[in-house]
Amino acid sequence: MQVRLTINGQPHELDVAPHRSLADVLRTDLAMTGTKVACAEGTCGSCTVLLDGRAVLSCLTFASACDSSKVATVEGSTPLLERLRDAFTAHDGFQCGFCTPGQLMSAVALLQRTPRPSRAEIRTAMAGNLCRCGAYEGIEQAVAAAAEAG
Amino acid sequence: MTAKLVKTEAVVEGRTEVRWTLVEEDDTPEFEDGAPTRPVGEPTPRISARARTTGSARYTVDVALPGLLEAVVLRSPHANARVTSLDLDAARAVPGVRCVLGPGEGPEHAGSPLTDAPAFAGAAIAVVAADTPDAAEAGVAALAPEYEVLGFVSTIDDGFEKQDFLEEPTEHVRGDPDAALSAAEVTVEASYAVPAQLHNSLEPHAAVADWREDGLTVWSSTQAIFDARSTIADAFGLEPDQVRIICEFMGGGFGSKFGVGPQGLLAAELSRRARRPVRLVNSRREENLAAGFRTPAKMDYTIGASRDGRLEAVEATAMIGMGTGGWPFPVLEPVKSVYACPNLRLMTAPVRMNLGPSAAFRAPGVMEGTFGFEQALDELAEKVGIDPIEIRRLNHTENDPESGKPYTSKGLLKAYERAAELAGWEGRDGLRGDGRVRRGMGVASQYWWGAGGPPAYAEVRIGKSARPTVTVGLQDLGTGTMTACAVIASERLGIPAGEITVHAGDTSRIGHGPASGGSMTLASIAPAVRMAAHSVRTDILGLAADMFEIAASDLTLEDGEIRSVDGTLREPVTEVTGKLGNAWISGSGSRGPNPDGMNVNTFGCQIAQIAVDTGTGAVTVERVVAVHDIGRVVNPMGARSQVMGGVLQAIGFALMEERVVDPTTGTVVNAGLEDYKVPTIADVPEVVCEFVGDPDPHLRMGVKGLGEPPIIPTAAAIGNALAHALGVRLREAPYTPRRVLEALGA
Repeated sequence: MQVRLTINGQPHELDVAPHRSLADVLRTDLAMTGTKVACAEGTCGSCTVLLDGRAVLSCLTFASACDSSKVATVEGSTPLLERLRDAFTAHDGFQCGFCTPGQLMSAVALLQRTPRPSRAEIRTAMAGNLCRCGAYEGIEQAVAAAAEAG
Repeated sequence: MTAKLVKTEAVVEGRTEVRWTLVEEDDTPEFEDGAPTRPVGEPTPRISARARTTGSARYTVDVALPGLLEAVVLRSPHANARVTSLDLDAARAVPGVRCVLGPGEGPEHAGSPLTDAPAFAGAAIAVVAADTPDAAEAGVAALAPEYEVLGFVSTIDDGFEKQDFLEEPTEHVRGDPDAALSAAEVTVEASYAVPAQLHNSLEPHAAVADWREDGLTVWSSTQAIFDARSTIADAFGLEPDQVRIICEFMGGGFGSKFGVGPQGLLAAELSRRARRPVRLVNSRREENLAAGFRTPAKMDYTIGASRDGRLEAVEATAMIGMGTGGWPFPVLEPVKSVYACPNLRLMTAPVRMNLGPSAAFRAPGVMEGTFGFEQALDELAEKVGIDPIEIRRLNHTENDPESGKPYTSKGLLKAYERAAELAGWEGRDGLRGDGRVRRGMGVASQYWWGAGGPPAYAEVRIGKSARPTVTVGLQDLGTGTMTACAVIASERLGIPAGEITVHAGDTSRIGHGPASGGSMTLASIAPAVRMAAHSVRTDILGLAADMFEIAASDLTLEDGEIRSVDGTLREPVTEVTGKLGNAWISGSGSRGPNPDGMNVNTFGCQIAQIAVDTGTGAVTVERVVAVHDIGRVVNPMGARSQVMGGVLQAIGFALMEERVVDPTTGTVVNAGLEDYKVPTIADVPEVVCEFVGDPDPHLRMGVKGLGEPPIIPTAAAIGNALAHALGVRLREAPYTPRRVLEALGA
């Protein structure tokens, strides 16, 4: 199937089989391996990207269903994403970093929706992104700091 | 510099290894008391932060080479079976399939990872490599396996009943436990059980192999690149230097990723046969069936003590559910090593079960055994009417109770004192309350190794632009070792850590570095990096002395400048390095042995405060105070993160994590993250973390390890807090709402 996607502002035209996931197409066809797949069944949040501004699990999203959509991934560069990068660095919001792309994209979605989230709102919005290293304290502080800096 | 061979002992997760290693004479001066050490001891953000936050960090699962084949494994759906039919040719005929390996096939000089007698659900039977994952899946489907299903063992009790042991049970005796127990004024009997905990590193076990005429390259998500290299070299009859192992970034391991694993062996064999690069990545479910687990254990303790709470004798038994492989971890180590006790009998039975092979999981054995023994000790404290911290102080030992050897340093008494102060221990009984929500506070001690040791080598280089590189033969699984290496080099070179590049994760760059495990990595590499950086510093200052006609001993390197001690000279270091042209200054360093006749251990104390809702049975950890003695702290920011991670994994172990096996089929019913619960951001308590901070006086740089210590006492402290809150002791982890309500008789 022909699919047109705008990824991080760049237009792409792709020919993809209808059953393939957005995560797979990003990683394999476009070599954008920043988006990570850790469970491939929608339970860990590592593959989170923004689809038309909404956080989605790209491992459960058919690429073929995304025609004419805007996709934002961790490889992008926006003032908000840069602020979050700096805050994750300053607050040590990661250890191994494998969940970080998904954490960052969930945080982008949260702060776009709720620019000044409470601690409870941060916890609710980020609870779908697992971090097995346990960097959550830094993640929570980083999201709060990025919100304040905005 | 002269090098010599020395014989050295290293303790790796409780096992002593004797090695010959090559070490160089180290004339690096130690830190002087009170003198600045910066940036050592100051918080430093990770040097890899940009790569990790932009998606450019390349993990093994991200490695894609031209012509890459994807491999998929056929795994047994049965806990115990014989494969009676398997159509390898049908798989080979599937379009896009390039290579198929069946049972018994694999590297020439190693046991095959593929079997026609799968002894657990998830055991690998065959593997298919194809142009695409879809083609590989189609190939696996075409194998059309048939099975004769056999009986199985899925519980420790059944395995023990059948007397089926992975290794012979062992007994360790100290003194005369029978006499001491029968003479004891007070005895306590206590039993505890813990489940299998699944690692769930977010990056699955993975390998990409590229077999070429001139050698084999394997990208491996591994905690030990050099062990991975020797395994691959031996398996294929290659010389170690014909094999290159690369692990640039790694998505966690927690003990489950030592060596190259079946993924590496199979990917390499497939690449050898297909003459194409091959990638093999576990799915999440494969990960939780076949890639290891913390062993479940049942522990029984009989403690004999004096009326005032002094330990006289302990008899302890641990039955460990090994699965089909792994080695029995030291579950009874806490009984043996944490307190003074003249009489012991410790019996360990490693039971075989039809479940995957077990693997080390952060403080393997010791965390489980701490959970049991530290709670049994609280039962004794209650019986003799002594405060739990007081009974720990009372039984404190200044020497290793087994060998009598002194410790190089032991900050445990300091840790008790500081933790009690930070936690508000004295007011703990006032917490309890009598409403629906009860609160409690509990304590536990931590004991682990963490000396590090040789062999560990480092090289530091500086060129024209004065942006140094540090090269080490280790891998960073997320713990921050590479950042710590930059911090250590920065102190000697006077150049900010953020301007230092650290090369790691590649066996072709430098000689052996430590595995990332056993809390040994930084303690091993730190002195080597400092020695290499000191050598470069010495050379820079020597050149500067000639250039500026000031004695080298009157010069120092700070903030990117060469400065004279009297303050008259301040020149950028590029004044010297700028003259290097295309040359560079390099220095090498190696880790020397640990002192003879002494034990190197880490110690600590944690206090947990919990709230339990007696209506729902839900337990919430509100606050954890963690005080650990890990010697000198190199990077407090990374160290705090390690503590947070350990504490949180232990909270998972204590409250929610448990592999569940269907007793009617022997298969794991919660191999996915939907059903196997791990902590989320909503489960994070307030953590107050401090380090005793005294550098170990007998180790170069005074650095001990930290990976394991923070996970060890948390679950025991939670258990003790729960008993404090409820007045009832729960004997089996995890402390789920169901178990809490049952304990309350609800």
